[in-house]
Amino acid sequence: MTDMHQASSNPASVLYRRCTIDLASGTASFATLPCRNLEEVLGGFGRSFQILAERDITEAYSPENPLILNTGLLTGSNVMTGMRSYFSGYSPLKKSSRGLPAAMWSAGSGNFGNKLKWTGIDEVIFENRSETPVYALFRDGGAGPVLELKPAGDLLGLTGHEKIMALGKLYPDAHFAVIGPAGENYRSVFMGAVVLSTDNQLKSGEPKSRFAGRGGMGSLMGYKNLIAIVAQSADRLDKITPVMRDVNRDILKSGGSARFQPVSQGGGGGTWANIEVLQAFHAVPLNNFRPKGNDDVERLFRDRVEQDFEVVSEGCFRCGIRCHNNLFERKPDGSRGKLAAKFDFEPLILFGSNLGIHDAAQVSELIHLCDLLGMDAISLGTTISYLLDYNERHPDRPLSNGASFGDFDLIRELIEETGRGGEGVLGKGVRRLSEELGETSYAMHVKGLELPAYLPDTNPGYMFAIAGGHMSMGTHMMLAKEGKHSVDEWAQAITTNGLLQVGYDMIGLCKFVGVGIGHDIIIRGIREAVGLEITCAEIVACVRRAYLRGLALELRQGFAEEEYTLPSQVIDDPNPNLALPNFISAEFLEQLRQRVWSVFLPEMEAVLPAKGIVP
Amino acid sequence: MQITVKLYASLRWKLFDEALRQCAPGAKIRAVVDELGIPQADVGIVLVNGLHAGWDDTLNQGDVLSLLPRMGGG
Repeated sequence: MTDMHQASSNPASVLYRRCTIDLASGTASFATLPCRNLEEVLGGFGRSFQILAERDITEAYSPENPLILNTGLLTGSNVMTGMRSYFSGYSPLKKSSRGLPAAMWSAGSGNFGNKLKWTGIDEVIFENRSETPVYALFRDGGAGPVLELKPAGDLLGLTGHEKIMALGKLYPDAHFAVIGPAGENYRSVFMGAVVLSTDNQLKSGEPKSRFAGRGGMGSLMGYKNLIAIVAQSADRLDKITPVMRDVNRDILKSGGSARFQPVSQGGGGGTWANIEVLQAFHAVPLNNFRPKGNDDVERLFRDRVEQDFEVVSEGCFRCGIRCHNNLFERKPDGSRGKLAAKFDFEPLILFGSNLGIHDAAQVSELIHLCDLLGMDAISLGTTISYLLDYNERHPDRPLSNGASFGDFDLIRELIEETGRGGEGVLGKGVRRLSEELGETSYAMHVKGLELPAYLPDTNPGYMFAIAGGHMSMGTHMMLAKEGKHSVDEWAQAITTNGLLQVGYDMIGLCKFVGVGIGHDIIIRGIREAVGLEITCAEIVACVRRAYLRGLALELRQGFAEEEYTLPSQVIDDPNPNLALPNFISAEFLEQLRQRVWSVFLPEMEAVLPAKGIVP
Repeated sequence: MQITVKLYASLRWKLFDEALRQCAPGAKIRAVVDELGIPQADVGIVLVNGLHAGWDDTLNQGDVLSLLPRMGGG
């Protein structure tokens, strides 16, 4: 990147390095390109969605559908959490009622994004598909980045963690983005994740990967026969200046990140604590997003789990927030045993209470298995819960192996079978499964993407998420936090602060920095890391344009008005056990849609480039 | 007057799960929380008898004051 001082007024003064790889021919080209607007300067999906919007894609698994890997402006910088990498493409999982795939991105941490940036590359576009399994090796060649495509047949069949450890032996100073068996079995698994290596994983040998899970970008990698991506470079972090030290101190001290910091440091202990907060309202998903008003989920509270496991707070590369809660088994002598799983709110609930499982050891095993096989925990967990719900409703004609809520062994079998590409019914997601069965009311998805572990009964904002339901619309906790339930309040939240959630998927930082994207900490961090002078108003306007471009792209891909809705069970059969206002009715949703579209639609004119303009 | 204070997650791990407290009639929530020694920044949700409440709301005899930590995710 160059000449950041003019970036906000003249984005073209900022250059970025792109590598375009034709996997069919095995050829690659490098180009240095000027940014066309501020969204491209910030990076991430702000840039990749502009490329996707220029394509006319009708099938996710088609050679024309690119897989775009890029970084954000602050990836590889000294700003704490600046290590994100982004994977974008037309999703095999999320599709419109017209059958067209939606543009998606997913983001992950680990040290891979940093390493890629330090090779001198900001963006990679993988075109077409390889005839044989390959991995892409990017390295810093001294005079610039160098690419090699190498045979990857030896990696096939290994878990994501095993692939990372095998590549780690070949490239000791590199980091890795790989797929698991699920991505290899892309024909039957549309929810394959990209598995990203961490320093801790490579040093300890323990399966502590990070994941870019949503939307099946790992399955798209599998379709392209791209089994892994290696980024090999020496670390290139600048010396930490006094200003940067203050920025990072403020990230830790300003309060926004405190909820994610370790309990031992006075923090909230990561997202795990959300269980206890939501349980106060009986709003923790249970048995397919249908809380019963009981205390079953309390067996997964932190202090209960600590009776049987050692919980260790760890973090990503140089991140002081240390939000990871890694569960280790205890040996008979009380010492630390092997890693059981990483307990975050989403997988803990979606492989725990939402499947009727409340035993921490069993939940750990299911999370661990999903991770090793390389699937998106949210999509898989939510699709399994639908199947269990179906089987409970139809005991005379159950699906698959007949698993029902709480059947640990049978659920484990379902996960294994799905990830290994068996004949199971789960891998293509809950929308397809429920439509095939003709029972869609309790299929927990919006626009074809499975819901995370926040009840739809509490979040009409899901309708306007453009990627991950809580990753791209920050309203998922509003009802519990503030109790607000009027159309005015929800329209205001969706059209102002809610959409700004996506800004973190542009600049390269983690959302757990915990402040609004226009916050002074972000502005100072950008200025000190890359010299870009940008105002709060400019960054907010830029993120808003990027969000609206994503929403416009949904409409172009055929998402119809009636798809901007919630699972109909929310309206037709409200849950009486929630200790929160029951405010979502058909009339409420209609009024909310009208209010939100009346704000967004005028702004969405001309945000999309015309198709067919491939720079 | 007497109220019941219930704490959740990181707040209860540091202090207590549930306790009866004496406070002045018409006491504001802010004052009760200050007296407990809990920084207001650590509290994300305040409920009185299960309903969302504000820092300057007053408490009445027999009220149940629930304090929940900030939560986040995404």
